[in-house]
Amino acid sequence: MLLEVKNLTIPTLDQKCVILNKVSFEVKEGSIHAIIGPNGSGKSTLAYTIMGLDNYKPSEGKIYFDGIDITPMKITERANLGITLAWQEPARIDGLSIPRYISLGIKDKANMKEEIIGALKIVNLEPERFMNRIIDEFLSGGERKRVELAAAVAMKPRLIILDEPDSGLDMIVIEDFMNIFNKIKELDMTILLITHREDIGMVADYGTLLWRGDALITDEFPKVMLRYCAKAGLKEFCKRTLFKNGGFCVDEDYIDRIFREEGQS
Amino acid sequence: MSNVEYPREILESLEDYNIDIRDFLPGHGKGAKLLLDFNKIRGMEDVDGVILKGREIENGIIADVIIKEGTKIEEPVHLCFGVNKETGIQEIFPRIIAEDNTDATVQAHCSFPKANGLIHKMFGHFYIGKNCNFTYSETHYHGENSGALVAPVGYVYVGENSVFENTFYLTRGTPGKVKIMIDIYAMKNSVIKSNIKAFGKCKNDSVRIRDSVFLEGENARSVIKMKAVAKDGGEVLMFGITEGNAPRCNGHVECSEIVLGKGSICRARPFIRAIDPTSSVSHEASLGRFPQKWLDELQAKGLTEEEATQILIEAMLQEER
Ligand SMILES: Nc1ncnc2c1ncn2[C@@H]1O[C@H](COP(=O)(O)OP(=O)(O)OP(=O)(O)O)[C@@H](O)[C@H]1O
Ligand SMILES: [Mg+2]
Repeated sequence: MLLEVKNLTIPTLDQKCVILNKVSFEVKEGSIHAIIGPNGSGKSTLAYTIMGLDNYKPSEGKIYFDGIDITPMKITERANLGITLAWQEPARIDGLSIPRYISLGIKDKANMKEEIIGALKIVNLEPERFMNRIIDEFLSGGERKRVELAAAVAMKPRLIILDEPDSGLDMIVIEDFMNIFNKIKELDMTILLITHREDIGMVADYGTLLWRGDALITDEFPKVMLRYCAKAGLKEFCKRTLFKNGGFCVDEDYIDRIFREEGQS
Repeated sequence: MSNVEYPREILESLEDYNIDIRDFLPGHGKGAKLLLDFNKIRGMEDVDGVILKGREIENGIIADVIIKEGTKIEEPVHLCFGVNKETGIQEIFPRIIAEDNTDATVQAHCSFPKANGLIHKMFGHFYIGKNCNFTYSETHYHGENSGALVAPVGYVYVGENSVFENTFYLTRGTPGKVKIMIDIYAMKNSVIKSNIKAFGKCKNDSVRIRDSVFLEGENARSVIKMKAVAKDGGEVLMFGITEGNAPRCNGHVECSEIVLGKGSICRARPFIRAIDPTSSVSHEASLGRFPQKWLDELQAKGLTEEEATQILIEAMLQEER
């Protein structure tokens, strides 16, 4: 297992309630593992905790990366072990050029330019257009997210956490994103993919469903998605879109059973 | 005048800004130029449509730059004020005139790599005529000893329908004691853009800048942007003034400053005043440290907190391109 999250509890800053409640799951090396759940279920919190941000210290539980207990480690140490995060809303650090920004995490200083161009290509930004640009207000939101992704990929991490890489992007680029994920996977990176879009999640091998701070189930992605739909009472949606035409191989009886288990008709 | 003798220390002193002064020397590049070594004129070259005159006076020079009516020059006029001594007084009196319908850039490089008690003063007068596009940019390097005292004063008149752009960079090396005052008077339909960036690095650095724009003509517009970092006891004070004194004029002042390390002081005083009811003037000031999220984002790329801070300073003080 590349990542093991055990019994992880994250309290709010004032310690009055918990955002994550004894969350446990595992991520297999080389897989795309989706974290799904509705708004406010704790997905970003989980990402920040794995990355090691200061305000997200567990009151209980541990995180292991490749067998090493990283719970006490600082963010920089974790990054140097091979973990990185592409933020849901990356900051606009005005003034840095795009290549400079992407170069920050590149270790192979000798081939810097090739590495930067390679990273831009992976996220489908044409190097001719973006090598000379600056991160400023003229960069569109979607472009900024791609630059963020490029910077994360350029680090060649072992685990890349993508917090809603699809947010702020239109439908047309969704397919583009599938293709990007596959390219990243080919580079031997394990992806922890946070999303609440079922179509994006389709690329995932496995998934974990977060529900109000609880990790309800970790399994093959379709089963996790089905549980999510059942929790949310989205039976018609579920049958119509997700499991139609054997896209996911489950029969109607199975779907009905899961919905009954969740107290939905 | 192709092989001017000029101290290597000065020629190379702006390398961190990606500027090689050699590119601007007499015999190089196509632009008009005036090269000063302490108080001696070492080289002067003019081009069609640009009159350049320099006269040595007791502690410095009087320099006249006139861009003649209708002239559009692509290469900037280069003024290099270098001093390769530790002490002394250099006083510059530039008189810069851009006649109507001109398009020009004047670039001044002020470099004092060995300064240790050196005084540089400037009293500049700028007259920009009608329908001009004029850029004045000044890049400073004051060595590593916090040993300069630099006090430039500038008065700028910007005529109707003209665009005046001013940039001032003092972001490499140690500033020492710096006091800058610029007053810009903007006539009808003119546009003023002023960008100032400074970095105070230690307790012997104190940078005080007062940048004032008076919107005197109808529909005149201005944006002042001041950015500074004060580190390890350095002090930076930025005073951005804009007055809207004419119908439908519009001005904005922005000061952002970052304070790092013990004893550093940043102060920003945007001062705005509108006396015409149809004018609008606004300001925005922020002081403090870099947002934690920015630091986190960079640290997630493997940088330490110090490295991340360094990158953020670099981004903030980046010369505009
Ligand atoms: N510092 C905090 N103090 C109190 N509550 C917090 C704090 N940080 C997060 N929360 C709450 O914890 C919950 C989980 O937030 P989180 O950002 O992790 O959700 P999410 O699953 O990423 O949601 P979204 O899909 O909207 O991005 C939310 O209800 C949020 O308001
Ligand atoms: Mg989120």
